[in-house]
Amino acid sequence: MAGTEHAEVEETLKRIEVHKGVIGTIVVNAEGIPIRTTLDFSTAVQYAGLLRTLTIMARSTVRDIDPQNDLTCLRIRSKKHEILVAPENDFLLIVIQNPCE
Amino acid sequence: MESTKVQGTHTASSVPRAEKVSVWAVAAKFWRKLRDKLFGCLMKREVTSLLSRSTRQIRQLGRPKAAGCFWMKSLRDQHQIRRPPPGASPCLSPDVQGKRDTVKEHVTEDMLKEVTDVYISETDSISLLDISSTVVSVDADDAEAILERNNQYAEVCRIRTGNDKYVDRSVQTLNGTAKNKQVQSDSPVLVDTATTVTTWDLYDILISPEKDEEVCSPELGRADYPEAVVNTSKGAERSVSVGSTDSTASAASSLKEVEAFGNSINAEPDLQLIMLSEKFQHCSLVMESSILGNTFQPKLAAYRQLPVIEDPDSVVKPGTEEDTESPPAVERLWAFSCELSRGRSISSMAWNKRNPDLLAVGYAAFSSSNHKPGLVCCWSLKNPTWPERFIHCDSAVTSLDFSSSNPSQLAVGMQDGTITIYSVKSPDNKSWFISSSECPNKHLDPVWQIRWTQQELSVTGEEKVESLFSVAADGRISKWFVCNNGLDCIDLMKLKKIHNIKKKAGGIKTESVVSALTPGLCFDFHPTDSSVYLVGTWEGLVHRCSCSNSQLFLETYRKHFCPVNCIAWSPLSPDVFLSCSSDWTIQLWKSDLQNPVFGFSSTQRAVCDIKWSPKWATVFGAVNEGQLEIWDLNSSILDPIIVQPAAAGVKMKSLLFATQTDCVLVGDSDGQVTVYQLKNLSVAESSQVDILEGIICSAGSGKL
Repeated sequence: MAGTEHAEVEETLKRIEVHKGVIGTIVVNAEGIPIRTTLDFSTAVQYAGLLRTLTIMARSTVRDIDPQNDLTCLRIRSKKHEILVAPENDFLLIVIQNPCE
Repeated sequence: MESTKVQGTHTASSVPRAEKVSVWAVAAKFWRKLRDKLFGCLMKREVTSLLSRSTRQIRQLGRPKAAGCFWMKSLRDQHQIRRPPPGASPCLSPDVQGKRDTVKEHVTEDMLKEVTDVYISETDSISLLDISSTVVSVDADDAEAILERNNQYAEVCRIRTGNDKYVDRSVQTLNGTAKNKQVQSDSPVLVDTATTVTTWDLYDILISPEKDEEVCSPELGRADYPEAVVNTSKGAERSVSVGSTDSTASAASSLKEVEAFGNSINAEPDLQLIMLSEKFQHCSLVMESSILGNTFQPKLAAYRQLPVIEDPDSVVKPGTEEDTESPPAVERLWAFSCELSRGRSISSMAWNKRNPDLLAVGYAAFSSSNHKPGLVCCWSLKNPTWPERFIHCDSAVTSLDFSSSNPSQLAVGMQDGTITIYSVKSPDNKSWFISSSECPNKHLDPVWQIRWTQQELSVTGEEKVESLFSVAADGRISKWFVCNNGLDCIDLMKLKKIHNIKKKAGGIKTESVVSALTPGLCFDFHPTDSSVYLVGTWEGLVHRCSCSNSQLFLETYRKHFCPVNCIAWSPLSPDVFLSCSSDWTIQLWKSDLQNPVFGFSSTQRAVCDIKWSPKWATVFGAVNEGQLEIWDLNSSILDPIIVQPAAAGVKMKSLLFATQTDCVLVGDSDGQVTVYQLKNLSVAESSQVDILEGIICSAGSGKL
């Protein structure tokens, strides 16, 4: 059962990675170290470090306003592309997509 | 005071070798000599009694007691003092005893260097003199005597000053030599901690104490800070957050180095753990739909009939002018397709009754081989590139339908005659299902259509129970119910072949004896009266039947001479239905008329599927193998208003209208479900049903 779950998650991640317009994906563990990425490692580390801070700030904001609420997704739309961050307690899933293509 | 002195000196004198105590020894000797000279025997006795007390106390070394005075003792002395017999010591003078003790031990080099531990503890308070003041009442018997004595004493005190009888004398007390002692120790480790408490921190701690306790216990071992005992996990997180918010660029860069260094070792188990966690699965799915939402945003917005947001940063293309007078057309939005489904022909599609964004599509095998297993995919609008669920079936899927009372149940009819009910709730592919494969009455031929319908139980029509009905190529219409972990059925109707009634000699009309069953290809229940249904057969006949009568048809409609592929009651207009057949025609009937009101034909191809539009009573769609046709009876009864040809090499097989929007889904033989949006349909404002009625009436009157 765990094997099939793992395979499904693998598949989903792969589909995200090869999707049209996706520049890169990063999976960051609790310590802020990228553990799986399609970008080069230094870029991934940079993204991981910077986005971690921002995510914590965003989550703090959301929860300060209403403690029963919680952050589910953080999307930063910039000129060139969009960064989507899925924050959790144990990990961060970051996807950089260029939706214009 | 004196008792302490004595004890200290006594012990000190016996251990001249320890360096710490040598000063004591010298002082003690001096004091002893001085005392002896000054105070004589009386003092000695007192001293010895005190000494005895001291020795007793020394022997009871093991139990330190709270006392008003301190005494010092070294470990070595313990052994020595116990040696002299208990009875002997009080009688001897301190001098002799001290000398005896010193004689016994020889001072060696090692002994000098040894470190002796000196224990200091309190002893009990020893009261030397305790006279408490007494109070006597004035009325007592000896009050006068006491008063007199008090007066005498007061007199004496008064006289004392300047009186020769009283002499002032001073006594010198010896101050003990003080010694400074220095000890070196490690400086205590000081750590600065800071934390910010936010409202949600407080909320978390208050609201979820049970969860925290579970988390706390395995992590308590890691806690370095005593104040984090309450909530260690959060504490760690908070401290991290504090640290990171305070981090400057330099700190960040140093962190990077650390990470780069220690990366590979810890990455693997973390990755596995994270990947297997449910949260990650959920996250990745959400992420996928967000990404796809970005990509498909214009299409989905058009589907939902929302204004399309122009991307401000994209290359601005010159927009095509929307001509309001342009003819009605369909615009292709997107197609549901994936590798699993490519190449398989689509046999049927159905919307979920509760979630109108969920679509179930049944795939038949490749047309060449009949034995390839079929596939059912549940697509969600959120993700047109990968189905939410896919279920592999044992044989090709010919029809499917979602239940409305249990929205997660999907009934699938297959080519080998089996009917299976799947539950699409869980993502687990081995989900719950019940099948009719063990049922003795099961269909032996392909199940061409399957439908869940609500039926009234009792005559009063109060309760509605949903049952599953199917029509199959073996000519039976069956009602299915669940029993014994499987499905069982009862036959509603057997479709008997109806040959032309031949007149035999003698004028007896006989029907053919061999009443074989003719395959039924489609059926549809009346939208309001669910006990009445229509069946289309292989012979081209359409029968109207009732659930209560399983022998005879209520009515038979003859017009088609080829198999009837699809029948549909109009959802809006009562008693009007459409039928399409492989004889290239579509017929519009009214249920009380024997002959069709209208016949439509546009191309010379078999019409595979036909559906009414759920919104407009005069609009219906038809699919023949080469094209999609949208008919609007209000505009024209001769030609379809919209014709969309199929892509090259692909045959369109099935059709479905979207309930909430103006979209049409077409399934083709290549495994793609294409979504088209109907545009510029100039539909009249007034009630569609009336228009339809009007048309029909006019046609009927015309014909008559």
